[in-house]
Parts: sequence; C-alpha cells; structure tokens
Amino acid sequence: MKRITVILFAVLISTVSQAQEASSLINAVNKKFASVNDYKAKVLMKFALPGIKINTLAGRVYYKKPNKLRIIAPGIFFVPKENPMKDIPKLLANTKAYTSIITGYETVQGKKCAVVNVIPLDPNLELIIGKFWISVKEPLIYLSEITTKENGTIRTQNYYGKYKKQALPDKILIQLEMKKFKVPKMLAMDVKKKSKKKEVASKKTGEIYLLISDYKVNTKLSNSVFTKK
Amino acid sequence: MKEFIAILKNELIKTIKRPRSFIGFGVVAFICLILQAAFANDGREILSLVTGQLENTLSIEGQVLNGNLICFVLLQTLIIQMPLLVALVTGDLVSGEVATGTMRFLLTRPASRTKVLVAKWLAGMFYTFLLLLFLGVLALFVSRGIFGADDLIHVNSEGLTVIQANDMNWRFAGAFVIAFLSLSVVATLAHFLSTVLDNSITPIVSTMAIVIIFTIIGMFDMPSFNVIQPFLFTTHMISWKDMFEDPVPKQEIINSCIILFAHIVVLLGSSIYIFNRKDINS
Repeated sequence: MKRITVILFAVLISTVSQAQEASSLINAVNKKFASVNDYKAKVLMKFALPGIKINTLAGRVYYKKPNKLRIIAPGIFFVPKENPMKDIPKLLANTKAYTSIITGYETVQGKKCAVVNVIPLDPNLELIIGKFWISVKEPLIYLSEITTKENGTIRTQNYYGKYKKQALPDKILIQLEMKKFKVPKMLAMDVKKKSKKKEVASKKTGEIYLLISDYKVNTKLSNSVFTKK
Repeated sequence: MKEFIAILKNELIKTIKRPRSFIGFGVVAFICLILQAAFANDGREILSLVTGQLENTLSIEGQVLNGNLICFVLLQTLIIQMPLLVALVTGDLVSGEVATGTMRFLLTRPASRTKVLVAKWLAGMFYTFLLLLFLGVLALFVSRGIFGADDLIHVNSEGLTVIQANDMNWRFAGAFVIAFLSLSVVATLAHFLSTVLDNSITPIVSTMAIVIIFTIIGMFDMPSFNVIQPFLFTTHMISWKDMFEDPVPKQEIINSCIILFAHIVVLLGSSIYIFNRKDINS
C-alpha cells in the first residue's frame, strides 16, 4: 500500500512539473510573439494540393495582432481556411483557455523539442487538440499540429533563419488533410477523357510551402491593408 | 479567277442578306448577355457548386469570377447550340436554290459547277467565321469589360487547374481556331447534305440529327462506343478545351485538328463529286 502511494505521488509530482514546464515554455513563446505587433514581408507560395494544378506565386504577406493576416498576390491562389500563421499566436496567447502538458521529447530539424499538448478547457470550441514541438533551448515552435472539428489536422513546420529572434520563420510548410478535388466527367463536359479505375476515396495531404523574406516588423500597419477590395 | 471572285462575292452578299443569317447573331447575343447578367447576379453561388468541396479546408483568394471564366463558360455552353445556328444557314445554301429554281439559272453561267459549289461553301465558312468572331467579341471582350480579367480556374474530370491571366490570350486564340475548325465540319456536313437533298429543311434537320446522335454516342464511356468515338467529329469538336490544359496536349490537339480537317476534305470532295453529276431538274 505504501509502495502504491509513493508511485502515485511520484506520478502526480511528475505530471505537475511537466505541466509547469509546458506552461513556462508556452509563456516564453508568447513573449516572443508579443514582441511582434505587425509585420509585412515578401512571400513565395508553392502548392502541392491533390487534384489542383497551380503555379508558384510571389506576393506580400501582412500580419497584425491579434489575428489579422492577408496575403496579396496577383491572380488566384489558395490559403488554408484556418491559417496557422495567425491562429497559433492567438490560440497560445489566451493561456486561461487551455491546459498544457509535455508528453515527451523529440528531435525536429536537429533540435531537441518538447512535445507540448494543448487541450482547450471549453469542449464546445472548434479546436480539439494542439500539439507543439517547442525547442527546449530557445522558445521557438518548430512543428505544430492543430486538430479541429471541421478541418481535421493542419501540420505546420517552421524553418527559422534571419528573423529567429522575433520567432518569424523564413520557410513554412503547411500540410493539411483534404479530399482530392474531383468533378464528375459529365459535369465537367469532359467526354474525351476515358474513365480511370475508381480511386479509393481516402483523405490526401495537401501542402502549401511559403518562403518568406524581407520582413518589416512593427511598422504600424493600417487596418485597411486587411480589407478586401 | 475573276469569275470565281464574282461568284463568291455574289454568294457572300446573298448569305449575309438572308434574314435567317441574323438569327444566329441574335441567339449568340441573347445567350451571351443573359448569361453575363446571370453571372453578375448569382455568379458566386454558381461557382460555389464547383469550388464548394475545397472551401472546407481552403480559402480561394483572388477574383475567381472574371471575364476569362465567363468566356470559357459561354464557349462551353454555346458550342452545343452553335452547330444548329451554322446548319440553319449552310444547310440551305444549295438545296434552297435548287428548291426555288434559282440554281438552274445560276448554272447557266459559264463558271463550272465546282466553282459555284466551292463559292457557296466559302460563303458558309465566312458566315461561320463571322458568327464565331461575334461570339468572341461578346464572350471575351465584353465579359472582360464587365468582370475584369484574372486567372482562369479550369475544371475537368481530373481536377482543377489555375491558368494565369497573362497566359490566356494565346489559349483563347487557339481555342477559337479549333472551334472554327469544328464548326466548319458542321457547316461542310450541312453543305454536303444540302447538295445531296433537294429540300431546304431536311439538310438542316439531318445535320442536327447527326450532331445529336454522334454527341450522345461520344458521351457514354462504354467499350462498344469507345471503338468508334475517336472517328466521330463530335468527339474532336470539344478539343478547344484542351487549350486550357496544363501542359497543353499538343499531339492530341494536332490529331483532333487532322481528323476535323479530314472530315472537311472528304465532305467537300463528296459534295463536289455529287454536285457535278447531279441533275438539276427544277
């Protein structure tokens, strides 16, 4: 009996300390995010979306706290509906809305990262769970997985370079679950094409790769930038 | 040659002056304007029927509803009706004159029968070209004027392709050339039937019947139909859409153009052969 009590106590202590460590990591990340009120930068977008052919596009990205984000580029392009570039800082900032815990340690991009799970306290929220791989040496998110009720899981890999100090990545790889875009042959009036063997209607992964450069941080961006014309 | 030009000029004037020639322009103008108005009102809802499956996970940025897309939709819609409009005029070019008795009078001129027939065929081609040019101006330039020009979202059974706006003009030019070749086959078929038959309505109805039957055979992906589909001109009439693939399937387009051109040569050659041996009794 005494043994069991000791084990339970040890588990409790370890859980509490892991939760505390997770909170302190998130607080450090939030501190970095807090130093950036807004930014604008050049962006190059590459797309690998199932069933969609689209060329690489260059444009500009604008961000303003708490969650305003707009990419302006000539022509038509796709962005994730739940864009992690704006949603993650907003999600993590409200520390009272979730509980966090470290579930392990993994190496991402050669960095030892703590795997921090963020679970919202309100079960009615769209977010089911957020997983963040945060470097233990510097408060930077190298990898994240946001699972929501409507949009499945969005996985984001951040690659830092010149703007590491402000936690602004040079490269972002967004991977999202989506079904292959398909239109029936008759609706597309595509009578010349012969039917192929039916594909299994499995979910596929779409990728959007963003190369961001020439950040201009805290330039007091006007709200009008975020209004679509 | 002078003689041929004189006959051709005469045929062009006759074709353009006929009231039925204006029906085609009226129909094209009406369909274009009514669809443009409908897209201006309900375009976003119509588009969401196609893009809806993406909108769960992705936001589409940019002006999806634009002149290039409207032109593409108009071409896709009108390519079904255009053969009827073309046949309405070209199916009557020879048989109409035979029925009214003016053909005998026309053949009393020293020009050969071949020249008379080719002049009529060229007049039909000119009408087809004018009709397509009219469609091009209304569908492309007016739509761009109303909705602006942006990238084109091209949807086929294999997926979705975004074609950049600065890559559109040559694609549309190619599409209109292929569409002209396709409609020329219909015009030549109607002209051929007009040469064979003496009634002025039957060639028009027969042309449409052939187009409808071939289109239906081409629509079904069945092994027994698959054998004949590559030889039907209706299968290649939609080759203009290939201009909006990425990359453009050049060989497929060339093959389609060769098949369409072969139809024109065979049908026109047969018309000349039959017309030169035909008794014009009325």
